[in-house]
Amino acid sequence: MPDAMAELLSGARSDALSDAWSLLPTYLTPHIVLCAAALALGLLISLPLAVLAADRPRLRWPVLAIASLIQTIPGLALLALFYPLLLALSALTMRLFGFGIPALGFLPTLIALTLYAMLPILRNGVVGLNSINPAVVEAAEGVGMTPRQILMRIKAPLATPVIMAGVRTATVWTIGAATLSTPVGQTSLGNYIFTGLQTENWISVLFGCIAAAALALVADFFLNLIETGASERNSKRMMLGIAGLALGTFAGLAPLLSNEAATYTIGAKSFSEQFILADLMGDQLKAEGFGVTRKDGLGSAIAFRALAHNDIDVYVDYSGTLWRNVMGRTNTPSREAMQAEIVRWMKAEHGVTVLGALGFENAYVLAMKRERAQALSITSIADLARVAPQLTIGDDLEFLGRPDWASLKSVYGLSFKTRRSFNPTMMYHAVDAGEVDVVSAFSSDGRIAALDLLVLADSKHAIPSYDALILIAPNRAADARLKRALVPLIGAIPVEAMRAANLTVDRDTDKASPKEAARVLAKAVHLRSR
Amino acid sequence: MTALPISNSSVSVPCIEIDAVSKSFDGGRSFAVSNVSLDVKQGSLVAVVGGSGSGKTTLLKTINRLVDPDAGEVRIDGVPVSEAEPPTLRRGIGYVFQGIGLFPHMRVAENIAVTLGLLGWPVHEIETRVTEMLDMVDLPQDYARRFPHTLSGGQRQRVGVARAIAARPRIVLMDEPFGALDPVTRDGLGSSYRALHDRFGMTTLMVTHDIQEAALMADRIVVMKDGHVLADETPHTLMTGSDDPDVAALMEVPRRQAERIAALMTENRPVHA
Ligand SMILES: Nc1ncnc2c1ncn2[C@@H]1O[C@H](COP(=O)(O)OP(=O)(O)OP(=O)(O)O)[C@@H](O)[C@H]1O
Ligand SMILES: [Mg+2]
Repeated sequence: MPDAMAELLSGARSDALSDAWSLLPTYLTPHIVLCAAALALGLLISLPLAVLAADRPRLRWPVLAIASLIQTIPGLALLALFYPLLLALSALTMRLFGFGIPALGFLPTLIALTLYAMLPILRNGVVGLNSINPAVVEAAEGVGMTPRQILMRIKAPLATPVIMAGVRTATVWTIGAATLSTPVGQTSLGNYIFTGLQTENWISVLFGCIAAAALALVADFFLNLIETGASERNSKRMMLGIAGLALGTFAGLAPLLSNEAATYTIGAKSFSEQFILADLMGDQLKAEGFGVTRKDGLGSAIAFRALAHNDIDVYVDYSGTLWRNVMGRTNTPSREAMQAEIVRWMKAEHGVTVLGALGFENAYVLAMKRERAQALSITSIADLARVAPQLTIGDDLEFLGRPDWASLKSVYGLSFKTRRSFNPTMMYHAVDAGEVDVVSAFSSDGRIAALDLLVLADSKHAIPSYDALILIAPNRAADARLKRALVPLIGAIPVEAMRAANLTVDRDTDKASPKEAARVLAKAVHLRSR
Repeated sequence: MTALPISNSSVSVPCIEIDAVSKSFDGGRSFAVSNVSLDVKQGSLVAVVGGSGSGKTTLLKTINRLVDPDAGEVRIDGVPVSEAEPPTLRRGIGYVFQGIGLFPHMRVAENIAVTLGLLGWPVHEIETRVTEMLDMVDLPQDYARRFPHTLSGGQRQRVGVARAIAARPRIVLMDEPFGALDPVTRDGLGSSYRALHDRFGMTTLMVTHDIQEAALMADRIVVMKDGHVLADETPHTLMTGSDDPDVAALMEVPRRQAERIAALMTENRPVHA
């Protein structure tokens, strides 16, 4: 969005900006913890490895090759890869030792970032050690130093400037890559970016980028002091750099130390409605005096597994999604039968509690501009099927790959002339502009009303119902306080209210943050905690 | 370094014995040192001279095990050096490197003190000794805090000598210690080293390219060529003539120079003849 900078500078969206500011401690602290831990671990592994590899060409080649290979894996993919690996590992430790390890959040992120941090440190370590004048090393042998003394007193100090240059590179990379940890449930400055992208809050996206860049610059400044201090043997400069880093880390950690432990972790998938609902649930819990942490932007497939493994305590999912994607069912029973079966199955298979339905559905529907539908005299999907071969469908990158589309196709014999895929915002722009005739909308999307779209009736029930359900993790199954705090939400949110809330976040102008939307929604549905 | 008793009737007892030592760096095709035997008596100063690549440095390094010979044995006070741990052995032997080999990240004082630190000397004794050594090699005291790259070549060489003898080792190996010095400093440092050597009863093996320096400083001169020892004699014997034509030619240089300078001092005529 080109105006974002102007908006940011003019302060016209000062509420979004102050929202972002208020979140800074929440996002910055874990970001610093994560980066500091990954860099420390990276140093701890890379330095000894560099020392070993520097003297051994046979080891050097494979070690550097593997490190380089890891570097070529895109950050997001590397992070995502550790989730299934850790899940499997967790299952193993569970079987062997009776405890699992968390597969989401801190651990996979830490591993991935550590791997990323290793290459520059390793490579500069090897280069630094190997570029030392052999005559100096021989002199060290000549005066009677042991190999260990040669390493610590001669090689290490002489290689330090080169190694520090590697540490600086690693630090800047790590701080940048850590922003990618949001989708695997690790809070970081990336939360600004990912939630901002989803809700098209460009202020938030920019804020996240700038915050991460600023953090990288500050860290690099102090590391540079250490590096030049080391190469000029200026111990004052070095101490200044070390003190700066320590102070900065401590300042970043301060909120962590002062906060009392948060009690519940709320998960959210990566779209506006999920953020709003997570905020809504969070407000309910906070009103009861509980602490709340968030894991936002979870992938659709990851969210349920995270809950089942107690990585998150509560989140909202949709009955049709659970039915098809989690339970692997292909039939489409009635709404009531489906919900009953979901409740039973969740408890029996995963110990997950279905607290209840919020009262609205977020189903995939097919929608058209009202005039266009009337011109073609279409009111239902059955009508659409007759003229579809002359029409164009636009989807949100996902719909045409889902079982819902397969069942629509087979039940109604649907087939279109052309298909085009968009991101959700662009998809609505396209149908509004008449570039596509039909789109795959979400029934709770505020833009249906805003753009005057007609939702085509699914009279043959090809698509299952998508009731929004509150799910509670196995560890919290007996937690009466949690349930009491959330129960007021059950059946409280009609689809119109949800659409209105979604629209305030999704629309292109005068956007609200999910937080604000949640507050407005709570007021609109007269929500009171007990 | 060794448990063997050191004989008091010093001079005649071999302190360093090099016994039929050979070393090849190319798997035996050529030898840097070839079947060299040499005794260095306790308290003597032996100069090793010879052309470039004749094996002088290699021979020196077999003594403190920077080079392990392919054949033969080096003994110190009768004990093979191969039985000693290299670090322990080397801390007891001062070594002046041909390339000086100062530690670039350490100040002059730290360079001089490095062996003392390894030997576990107390700090105040180290400081006293460093001051003493700077005086000995004729460097101003305020050089103590400077880094090697700020010194001239000759100043660095003097720090190298100071580092090698700071702990007053019984044995000192010097590989062209005075090469980069001006003639005046060189002569002065040579004489004061010889005095120190005698005062503390050191045993010194010194490689030099300067025959005159060898003749004036050493008790014996060893001449090497292509890894072999051509001669091992007192300066007097060598100066008065040798059967070996190579050795004779080598010794001819300082003799003729001395004659020319003597002539220059008595009659005023050109000496380039
Ligand atoms: N580490 C080494 N690897 C391979 N060859 C070597 C090594 N050290 C010495 N040599 C070879 O051994 C021979 C003797 O070398 P050395 O350094 O002992 O000569 P030198 O008498 O000290 O010469 P200079 O007066 O030029 O210092 C030379 O031919 C040299 O190339
Ligand atoms: Mg040499």
